[in-house]
Amino acid sequence: MAKPVVKKEYTFLERIYLWEIVKGLKLTFKHFTFNFKESLKKGPHTVPTCWQYPEDRRPIAPVFRGAHMLCLDDEGRELCVGCGMCARACPAKCITVKRGKPAEGEEGKYAGKTMSAEFTIDMLRCIFCGFCEEACPKGAIQLGQEYELAEYTMDACIYDKERLLANFQKAKAEGKLKPPKKPVPVAGGDKKAGAKKVAKKPVATDGKKSKKAASKPQAEEKKASETKREET
Amino acid sequence: MDNWVIALIKVVFIWTWTLLIATLMTWVERRGSAMMQDRLGPNRAGPFGLFQPLADGIKLFTKEDIIPEKAHKILFSLGPILFALPAFSAYAVIPFGDKLIVNGKEIILQVADVNVGFLYVVALGAMAVYGIVLGGWGSNNKYSILGGLRSTAQLISYEVPFGLSLLAVVLVYGTFSLREISLVQQGTFLGFLPNWGIFKQPLGFILFIVTAYAEANRVPFDLPEAESEIVAGYHTEYGSMRLGLYLFGEYVNMYTLAALMVTLYFGAWHLPYIDMSKFLGPVSYGIASFLVFFLKTAFFLWLFVWVRWTVPRFRYDQVMGLGWKALIPLALVNLFITALCIQLTV
Repeated sequence: MAKPVVKKEYTFLERIYLWEIVKGLKLTFKHFTFNFKESLKKGPHTVPTCWQYPEDRRPIAPVFRGAHMLCLDDEGRELCVGCGMCARACPAKCITVKRGKPAEGEEGKYAGKTMSAEFTIDMLRCIFCGFCEEACPKGAIQLGQEYELAEYTMDACIYDKERLLANFQKAKAEGKLKPPKKPVPVAGGDKKAGAKKVAKKPVATDGKKSKKAASKPQAEEKKASETKREET
Repeated sequence: MDNWVIALIKVVFIWTWTLLIATLMTWVERRGSAMMQDRLGPNRAGPFGLFQPLADGIKLFTKEDIIPEKAHKILFSLGPILFALPAFSAYAVIPFGDKLIVNGKEIILQVADVNVGFLYVVALGAMAVYGIVLGGWGSNNKYSILGGLRSTAQLISYEVPFGLSLLAVVLVYGTFSLREISLVQQGTFLGFLPNWGIFKQPLGFILFIVTAYAEANRVPFDLPEAESEIVAGYHTEYGSMRLGLYLFGEYVNMYTLAALMVTLYFGAWHLPYIDMSKFLGPVSYGIASFLVFFLKTAFFLWLFVWVRWTVPRFRYDQVMGLGWKALIPLALVNLFITALCIQLTV
């Protein structure tokens, strides 16, 4: 059934427009003065609705899927064993891996018995799905926090192994490493562990407070993750 | 010879000043609208983005000048000129201050004190529509033609109340000269109000401001260029500096109309209750009168922007309805009451 059309009876004030226009002007002026004042304030991100990109950057979730990196373990050894699982999992077929054996005398550089002789990611094809990260049995490949990936040439967008390792070093230096993965809850397995972690998360109640509240536990988690890594 | 030099200086001054204000208005429009819509607007070029109009101008000048193959070449190139020329020349009869006395010589801050100043402004305002219509027709594009036709239809519905509201002002002051009208507005009215036109013609002012918005093709009466309906209306096919002339002419038009509002209804360069000429030197008085006049004009320019980003566009038939069924009867009533009052008091 069609929705019945209700004809609104306009009052005299509404029909002469002018008063309604004045009301509208009041509203726009309120917005104008507010934003004007905020924009004159010093510091980044003063107008709450506006992020002026190169200066203001939104906080990024720790699980953000940005540029890839090849991780090292705590002793500075490459984790990648060159198994090629990531290349198989990749739906965009952008990863090329060649397994190789470490050269004589360089075994200490690698965590496994084998290593990747070649590891390139074609960032022009990558769709940042994160499947490679999930597929990796060693936790060697990870998607980091970097998202400014524009380059001047197409060749520069094909990341080789050095670039990927450098990404990791950079992320480590900036403290932007990912927290370790939560154990995947298995049906009938240890459900309690998963439930506990969920319960730990603070419930945001207030719009303004939640930002601060949310950032603290994140930092704590990060610290915890780092310590955990050291333990393993 | 001396008079020629002074006249030339005045012409050059008001020309550059109008251009400067029009340029600045594009910036005010963009940043003001942004602030009203919780954005920031262009703030990269120069301090607060003040050089943005300059950048836009350079862009428009250096762009390729395209004339569509199927367009009527002559009309197409004539359109923007016909639109901008009346807009630039309309300010000639509107004062921008009282007078400046330099070396015992009195300089009136007005390019030409024409005794039919009024008619000149109205005539040039009507002329500008030719630019829109010819541009729209010459583009040979259905959106452009629609824009041009809308402009004509809008013209006949607002030009009549526009003229009638001005006629009531003429009745009140008994002169067509804009300088004389400004001079009369000194002092107080009824003992406590400033002797401004708005207190003598409240209804006339409302009619005038509504029709002025239509005259300047501004929201809520920007039917000829309604972006959401007919792409860009009459200037759909235009680019580079031809488009620049159209857009620029619009802002110059706005400045002229704002100055006209101030001259007729808001006491021109007079401050309420204070006579500046009594305690200011001849030169400083001239400058002060110019500044007061400009500040008042600036408010109305801001009002143009403010209203634009507040009110939605009227529908085509609503403008006709408003013009013919509301504004013209009201203007006639206003004229009748004014005439009656003057007949009874004089």
